[in-house]
Parts: sequence; structure tokens; C-alpha cells
Amino acid sequence: MDNIENVELIVVGGGPAGLSAALAASDYGIKVVLAEEREFLGGQLIKQTHRFFGSEKEYAGTRGIDILKRLIEDVKNREDIKILASSRVLGIYEDNVVTILNNNKMKKYIPQAIILATGASEKFLAFENNDLPGVFGAGAVQTLMNVYGVLPAKKILMVGSGNIGLIVSYQLLQAGVSVAAVIEAAPKIGGYSVHASKLKRLGIPILTSHTIKKAVGNKKVEGAIICELDNNWQEIKDTEEFIECDAICLSVGLTPLIDLLKQRKVKTVYVSELGGYIPLRDENMETSIMNLFVAGDVSGIEEATAAMIEGQISGLTVAKRINKNQKEEIQRKIEEAKKELVLLRSGPVGEKIRKGLSKIGLNHGENYDESILKEEFDISYLMKTGVPSKENLESKFPKDKKIFDKGPIAISECFQKFPCDPCVKSCPFNAISENGNINNIPYVDFEKCTGCRICVSKCPGLAMFVVHKNYTETSSLITMPYEFLPRPKKGELVNVYDRDGKIICEGKVIKILDSSFQDKTAAVSVEVPKEHFLEARNFKVRYLKHE
Amino acid sequence: MSEEKIIICRCEDITLEEVREAIKNGFTTIEEIKRILRTGMGPCQGKSCGLLIAREISQITGTPIEEIELQNIRPPYGGILFKEILNNVGDKIEK
Ligand code: SF4
Ligand code: SF4
Repeated sequence: MDNIENVELIVVGGGPAGLSAALAASDYGIKVVLAEEREFLGGQLIKQTHRFFGSEKEYAGTRGIDILKRLIEDVKNREDIKILASSRVLGIYEDNVVTILNNNKMKKYIPQAIILATGASEKFLAFENNDLPGVFGAGAVQTLMNVYGVLPAKKILMVGSGNIGLIVSYQLLQAGVSVAAVIEAAPKIGGYSVHASKLKRLGIPILTSHTIKKAVGNKKVEGAIICELDNNWQEIKDTEEFIECDAICLSVGLTPLIDLLKQRKVKTVYVSELGGYIPLRDENMETSIMNLFVAGDVSGIEEATAAMIEGQISGLTVAKRINKNQKEEIQRKIEEAKKELVLLRSGPVGEKIRKGLSKIGLNHGENYDESILKEEFDISYLMKTGVPSKENLESKFPKDKKIFDKGPIAISECFQKFPCDPCVKSCPFNAISENGNINNIPYVDFEKCTGCRICVSKCPGLAMFVVHKNYTETSSLITMPYEFLPRPKKGELVNVYDRDGKIICEGKVIKILDSSFQDKTAAVSVEVPKEHFLEARNFKVRYLKHE
Repeated sequence: MSEEKIIICRCEDITLEEVREAIKNGFTTIEEIKRILRTGMGPCQGKSCGLLIAREISQITGTPIEEIELQNIRPPYGGILFKEILNNVGDKIEK
């Protein structure tokens, strides 16, 4: 069997988890073969034009596509990583032989370890006429739009309000597609509130407790019939409504891509919190088969940041096992990465993940700081509508209203506990704090804030605003993040909107910060009548139609 | 709701009606349903239909979904030509 190659590590999948795993292992001299099915590396990151949440250490605040550039450059510079692109892993056999189809040839390898980072696939939904042309998965829409520059439709109905549904809706709007509505079967929005608020400010309806019954159309989608659901997820009579659209975008969740694991007969279990059937694995990402590891979405659906850390943990664990030296150092790094993961998952939005993990015997809960687990205040209204309640807002405004008179100050409209800290890290005056835990809600210290506007462009949730109440006798100046084209011009009149997406007044563009530092999230200062300084939170350039 | 207009397996064009019919006829595992309806045998290999069928089985038979197994997956993952297998052996094969 001279045509079987012995290798140290095979990593399957060139997405964020796979790339991080390959890098971590090669940091300690492990020779890696990285197999990617497609002709390019990057996995889902190649279409993530938005900025990432998470901790700054793991690139939060950076756009997915830019994170990818860095990872790929790094991987390409490593002599120890051999990249096999357009190479599909076809089989993992019981005798540990791995077959890879590369260049029209079936190549065989015997690795000392395998890390599977094959990601996930989109879930499908059962409703009438769900095979009509124009019914897309959200991932497909994003690929068409952001990778190939093809508009998928003119008007879309988004089904599902998880982060993917919310983010893709926003990106559709950026591309000039209108979004008829986002519907969600659950009684509350699935994704982060800041993403929902972004859409809401643009006037997009988010309908919770609603589902799709039927796609309407002859040869292609011409509309959809939606209806309302009660608390038991049953249809409420006579609530059917026709929505006109030429595409229906399904964003109803992801499920781990475990085919290769099933081939190797790895033990899998159904854990709904983690997306479906997932492999059993330990804290080091090792499955029930020794030296077979997983990382990223294939081990359970989570965010890209977690995927990258899991990649590191598996890569380092392989290095520790194969590499005779530096073991202590590697172990220390593994511990650090695990701590980072625990921190990421420690807030209320991490509850689902923690619950899922505990079902496979990984008790992430033991070291939790109880105080961080609960939401700080009631955000049920926000999670139903995408609009913060009055009480929520009051909690983030200065207690002493006189502070508004001191000059421009930053207002953070971020109300949910989730792992994100670019605002904190961006402020040069240390005016924003999360009290030492990335899951805490950020608060602005109005005494320290100089109103410099840096944070406005840096918050991936577009939740930072700078408000200058007494800009003139009669007007206020509101600096808002803006990510649409065309850009407004200085002096231009724009329509100003509130958090609900309702037009409230006319405003005048006074200043635009839009250099490479802002990285395409411009900070635009708009002058509005003073009575609106607490309401004006969005604007639209007049000749641009989002509707 | 017309079950015959709801597609469960897009690759093989199998409807909810057919899947429910099969379950009622006693085919209560994903593997069995695959064998009689061809669900999951198309290019996507069950990625669209697998979970939907699991849920149907669970609902109709009352089995918790945790106890329902996915279909077996065997190598190769994805289609492959004989040529591609033979290419590797190269010169050693008599044509
Ligand atoms: S406006 Fe400037 S000083 Fe104020 S919080 Fe933002 S970054 Fe910090
Ligand atoms: S305000 Fe801070 S914590 Fe909230 S989304 Fe923005 S960057 Fe993240």
C-alpha cells in the first residue's frame, strides 16, 4: 500500500473553525493537511460582510470577510499547512484511512488525528408549495448577494428572526432589495435585540408569533400567506394574511453536518438546543472515537467566535498529544481558550448552549457567576417588537438630565446581555464599561465621555449614538451610524426616523465621518429640531427607497 | 393544508402526504422510509428531509425525537466516478 500517505493531522473544512484548528496545531510544529470541499477557503465567513460580535481577542468588531483575510493569509504563510482546495473528503474508514478526492484522484491518507470542522446545513421548512422557485435558504441568498453580486429578488419575506434572518434582512436592504416583513413563529425574536432594532428603525415589520402557511404563485413565488399562532403554536383562526413578495427566504436554523462522523460511527445524540443531531464529545472536542475531533458548528450550532475558539482547543489538543515538547505551554493555552469559551457562553443568551452542552455531559455551568445569568431588566417588549421600552431607555440615559447640557455625549442603546465588547474597547477615554464581564450591558460614563464619536462606527450592533442636545438654541445634533449607499452629502436634507421606523422630522446633514477608520460604517451627524433629540435614531437619504 | 403540496424531500420530490402514508403503514424509521420512498437518496443525502421526517415519525408514533435515529451514512460522501477511483491506482492497472 505504497500509495497511502501518513500524515500527522487532517483538518476537514476551511471555515473559521478549521482554519483556527490548523493554525493552532501548526503553531506547535504539527504538519497539517487542510481539506476544503470548495475551491476557496473561508466557509461561511466569505459572505459575512457585517461586523462580528464577541470579544475583541477573537476579532469582534471586525467584518467577517476581513477576519477571513487574516486567517487565510496566516494559513498560507505556514509551511506546515498543506492546503487541499476543491478536495472533498469522501470517506473516513474504520481502519483510519481517509480518502480525499483531489484533482480527479482519490488519495488515501492515514492521519494520527483528524479534526472535523464541516460546519452545518440549513434546515428546511414544510409548508404548502415550498418547492416553488423563489423559496430560498437564507444562506443561499447571502451567497448570491455577497459572494456573487446577484440580487435574489425585489421583495422578500424573511421567515425566521434568528441572527441569520435579521442580518440577512439588513444586508438585503443594503443591496436595495425590499423586505416585506420578518416573521417568527416563536413569541419572541430569536436573534440579538440590536440586530432587530436596526431593522425596526428602517421600518421593517417584525411579526412574532407568525408563521408561513403557503407560498403563492404559479410558476414562481408571487406572495405568501402567513398567519398568527397562539401560545401553543396553533394557528389562530381568521388571521391569514397575504404578503406580496417575489421570494421567500427561510432562516429557520442550522443543523450540524455530521455525515462524515456517521460514516466513522461516532456516537451522536439529538440535542434540539444545539441544532439537531450532534456528536458526543468531551471538553477537548474529542469524539467517541479516539483522535477524532470536532470543532465549530458540526459540534453544535453556535457563533463563529465560539467556532474559532473550539478550533484552537482541538488543534492544541492534537499538538499536545503528538508533540513531545512544550506540553505545559500548550496546556496553558488550552485552559485559556476554555475560559474564553465559558465567558462567551456565560450570559442569558448563552443559556440555550449551556443547556444543550449539559445534555451531553459537559457541565459548563459550574463556574457561572449567578449575577450575570439574569437579564438586568425586563426586555420582553424589546424582544417582541425590536423597540426598547421607555423604562429600558431611561436606564441608559443620564439620570441627571442636566448632563445633556454639557455637550455631546454617547448614548448606548444596547439592552441585552450578550457577549460583545467592541464599544468598550473602542473608546479612547475609557468611558464605556461592562464591569469586567463581556456579557454585561455597557454603560457610558458621561463624565468621561468627550463625544468624540469613535464608538458610533465601532459598535457592530449600531447601538451607539452621540447626542448633542444644545447644538443651537433650537436644534440638536444626533450622530448616527449609517451603512447604506449612496452616502448623504454635507448640507443635504434627509428624512429622520424614530426607533419604530416612523418618520418624525426633517434633518440636515452637518458632518460625515467616513474614512477608512470608520470602515464603511459612517458616523453621520444630523441636525434635528430640539424636541426630537431623544427620538431621532435613523435617517434615510431622500432619493433612496428602502420600501 | 394540502399535504400533497408540501415537499419534504426536494431531491426526490417526496411529499408530506407520502411520508405520512408510509409512517401509517408501519415504516417508522428514517432508514425504512428511505428504502421505500427514496427520501434522502438524492444529491443532498437527506440534509433537507432528515429532520422533517424525524419530526413526523415522532409526532405520529409518539416516540420522543431523541430516540429516532438518522439514516445510515456510508462512504463515499458525495458522488464519485469510477475513473476517479482508478486514477489513483494509475499505471498499475491494465487497461
Ligand atoms: S463618544 Fe468617544 S468618548 Fe464618548 S463613549 Fe464614544 S468613544 Fe468614548
Ligand atoms: S453597544 Fe457595545 S456591547 Fe452593545 S452591540 Fe454595541 S459594541 Fe456590542
